[in-house]
Amino acid sequence: MPASSAMRLSEGAATRLRFPLRLKLGSLLSSSETGLKASHFRRPWLAAGLLAPQLLILLFFFFIPTWKALSLAFVQVDPFGATMIFVGLDNFTTLFSSPEYRDSAVLTLWFTTVQCFVTLFVACLFAFATDQVMRGRAIYKGVILLPYAIAPAISGVLWAFLFNPTVGPLAQILDELGYAWDPNRRPSDALLLVSVAAIWKHVCYDYIFLVAAFLAVPASVIEAGAIDGAGPVRRFLTITLPMAAPTIFFLIVMNFVYGLFETFGIIDVITHGGPAGSTNTLVYKVYQDGFRQLDLGSSAAQSVVLMAIAVLFTVLQFRAVERKVNYQV
Amino acid sequence: MVERHIWLSLFCHVVLLIGAAAVCLPLYFAFVAGSLTVGEVQQVPFPLVPGDHFVENTVTAWMEGDFGRLYLNSIIVTVGIVVGKLAVSVIAGFAVTYFRFPFRMTAFWLIFISLMLPVEVRIIPTYEAVADAGGPLRSFFGAIGLTGFLASTTGYQLDAALQWNMINSYGGLILPLIASASATFLFRQFFLTVPDELCEAAKLDGAGPLKFFRDVLLPLSSSNIAALSIILFLYGWNQYLWPLLFTTEKEMYTAMIGLKDLIPVADAQPAWHLAMAASFFVMAPPALVILLMQRWFTRGLVDSSK
Amino acid sequence: MASTYMKSVASLLAAGALLMGAAGASAAERVKIEWWYAISGKLGETVQQLISDFNKSQDKYEVVGTFKGNYEETMAAMVAAYRVNQQPAILQSAERGFMTMLKSGAIIPADELMAKQGYKIDWSDFVKPVAGFYIVNGKPAALPFNSSTPILWYNADAFKAAGFDAPADTWQGLEKQLYALKEKKVTDCPMALPGDFQWSLIENYSAINDQPFGTKANGYGGLDTEFVYNRTSVVGQVARLKKWIDDGVLKIAGQGVAPISLYTSGTCASIINSTASHSAVEADAKFKWSAAVMPHEEGVQPKNSTIGGAALWAIKGKPEEVQAGVAAFFNYVAQPDVQEWWSKATGYVPVTNAAYAKMKLEGYFKDHPTREVAIEQLSRGEPTDNSRGFRFGNHNQSTAILLEEMQAVWTGKKAPQEALDSSVKRGNEILRQYEKLHAGK
Repeated sequence: MPASSAMRLSEGAATRLRFPLRLKLGSLLSSSETGLKASHFRRPWLAAGLLAPQLLILLFFFFIPTWKALSLAFVQVDPFGATMIFVGLDNFTTLFSSPEYRDSAVLTLWFTTVQCFVTLFVACLFAFATDQVMRGRAIYKGVILLPYAIAPAISGVLWAFLFNPTVGPLAQILDELGYAWDPNRRPSDALLLVSVAAIWKHVCYDYIFLVAAFLAVPASVIEAGAIDGAGPVRRFLTITLPMAAPTIFFLIVMNFVYGLFETFGIIDVITHGGPAGSTNTLVYKVYQDGFRQLDLGSSAAQSVVLMAIAVLFTVLQFRAVERKVNYQV
Repeated sequence: MVERHIWLSLFCHVVLLIGAAAVCLPLYFAFVAGSLTVGEVQQVPFPLVPGDHFVENTVTAWMEGDFGRLYLNSIIVTVGIVVGKLAVSVIAGFAVTYFRFPFRMTAFWLIFISLMLPVEVRIIPTYEAVADAGGPLRSFFGAIGLTGFLASTTGYQLDAALQWNMINSYGGLILPLIASASATFLFRQFFLTVPDELCEAAKLDGAGPLKFFRDVLLPLSSSNIAALSIILFLYGWNQYLWPLLFTTEKEMYTAMIGLKDLIPVADAQPAWHLAMAASFFVMAPPALVILLMQRWFTRGLVDSSK
Repeated sequence: MASTYMKSVASLLAAGALLMGAAGASAAERVKIEWWYAISGKLGETVQQLISDFNKSQDKYEVVGTFKGNYEETMAAMVAAYRVNQQPAILQSAERGFMTMLKSGAIIPADELMAKQGYKIDWSDFVKPVAGFYIVNGKPAALPFNSSTPILWYNADAFKAAGFDAPADTWQGLEKQLYALKEKKVTDCPMALPGDFQWSLIENYSAINDQPFGTKANGYGGLDTEFVYNRTSVVGQVARLKKWIDDGVLKIAGQGVAPISLYTSGTCASIINSTASHSAVEADAKFKWSAAVMPHEEGVQPKNSTIGGAALWAIKGKPEEVQAGVAAFFNYVAQPDVQEWWSKATGYVPVTNAAYAKMKLEGYFKDHPTREVAIEQLSRGEPTDNSRGFRFGNHNQSTAILLEEMQAVWTGKKAPQEALDSSVKRGNEILRQYEKLHAGK
């Protein structure tokens, strides 16, 4: 491609980016397959080549290990691999009849949902504020992004320490305010602490993407809104937010993945799933039973359940939001 | 120019200041803990002002943990993860959005499903996979009879050739952490927002898919790639459970594992001051990346939307 | 403090230089012996010192020690590695994992290894509670390494201020003292709850008060053992602890804070914790600290407590020359001199009579009276079926359950009896599962 035509293309991109509304609609009308560009190529072998590295890595380091992990769900096994007894669905019946497992499921649903939307809301608020302020933007951004640099294990230690009822400075303040804070004895306190730590750690992730998405909204569209008489909050709600919908969908999925799976580092450091299982999420339980207690059979059965729920849930959510995003934007 | 609102602006500053304070508070206390002596760090109530041992504690922790070597490992592993995952996922994202081919949706779902089960949950089988990456191939060739056939006809020992042990290697540290589709998913979402006219124009110019990819799509994605490299850098640098389980030789430790070694456990002296001082130099590279890359990354975004 | 660090840094550098120098000359011929251990901090430094001393003492083998996290993490790493033949030659495993290791099929019993490699270790010289635990059918399965037992640490200044010379012998007496400490406003925290309280305040409590924890002599008599601690005075003990917690007499440290540091910092006036806390207490406690034997129930003739800590296991699947190296290292560790040095440096009890006698002869215990408390407590009374130790399959798992149920008591979710019943029921399921997998082995 000659340089001039590349120039023309990127200029074209710049003008088009201001009007993604029309373009998106066009791609929807002419595309019969979900997520395929209207203008696409038909080179199956090239596509296969491009996908091959990803699929090969997934095959070796995801599908085969996952298959092995799941196949343990139907046996009881000595962790060293010396003895293995096929038990059919025993692991599942034990699991479903256990009140601890049911508690854990309810807790996980609650925790993940709350965490997902609070994180998104706080990040939205910060990103909106960042978008509005003129002075000190870079400094605010730098500081708010900092928790991202901190490993979950370290941030967990910090929060556990700050709110430790015996020595923590912040717990002492709560105590003076007349609230007998004790995450070791009050499950709601423990859950609150874990949630705060998880949100603290993850707000910056959503924030990075939202700041970028808000910035990417073309100035001309905002100006058009202003001329129509919309105030900044209204413009944000009716123009910026809808235009960031694909990013927000991406973040909702990622927040759920984070809440379900990646908070285990924080839980591990702050509460170990306690007190009395009150912060023992499904994934932490899989990890705890499988990797710590070496009960591989039960752990694998839990993985199967988890995976089934996750896949079902994701497919539903994916379908719903995919449609919505396409129509709305 | 859009009009300004004083009250809104004030409100926004307050929101951001609260946010910044919430971020800094735990870090400040970590700094205080890192600047005390072992006796002071256990005081109740905890001191609110830093002591003057921060440098001393940092040096002690650095020497004790041999962090020079660990830093190098962390950098190699992290760069490997960033480059590897970006390269693999940008082309995979390209393939699922820009190509019509049989089983396209199958491929997409195969990739997408891997978001669902993190390495922590399947950690023992993953360990087996890395320690014996050739295992599945051996059993496959054994099952279809190729191993026996080769051995009886040519005397070639296929099983012996298919022994790949990646324990204590950089590859073994990197590859399992690349095996997730979050980045592919992000690129897919981004490519869906790229105007179709760009591809049409490229086709009219007679450009093939690879040329279109290189000259149009990649430059357009630069801000996404920048954002993602930051995220992947931090992801790689902060990896904890996998390197902990996986490295058996000190020479292969990452900085995070070095730090873990310093965090006191039961029965041991509670040397929190060293652990906290060390946590600062362990989190320095990711913090610097955020602070330095942030400008570049923001500028890239602003440029592309002008 | 600074000088200690300089010293340890210097010794590390020296060890490093030695390794480098050795690399040119003899590393090629030296057989590498991998050892995964699970203790860190000060104790970890002592382990590295032990390794470096061994490596200097001979030129055939080089032990390479790796810290693999706490006992659970180390065991998990071992399991993962063993499944793909990447296991170390030596594993340090806690007493709780004894049955798991013993019947894993992954180990070489220590006496078999030593006999085969031509070493003679006088197993009868190991102190009784230690030998009683690690010797199975007259044969030691693993080499006892770091052995401890929980003792009562107290702040003598605080106890004096409340008018007590020493802690009472009985739980009933101690209760009065702790409440007095609180009422007289000597301290806001009379006692800290240890992180491994199931070991000290429930298991060792059962042993000392001669209460059965499980049937079949706490598992010594067979895999068909069942937990029974929901029908003993443990119920009362748990109710007592719950009351202390509610009254603010017993404090839970929580994650992120080691319970022992509540004691060493002077926050809490006492704690029942491992004798291995000596290294931390000696380094950090800035008050008049002391230790006593654990209390017992009124009207009960106290028995011995049981050992905790860990042993070294020789792992299968290593070449002959590595096994020879393992045996050489075990032999080195079992030497009275090394035992003595290790015990002094760490606070763990000397595991052989020879080392103990040597320390006694030197007058070490006169200068360090608290070092003898653990030994005294371990040899109190004539051992019974209830005080010999605990041999339950997958005891890690049943312990985790017990801890979870106890937390349900602390949070008020369950009454002591209810929680213990549930804990026993869930624990027995684990025992049955273990029995099913290992019957006839």
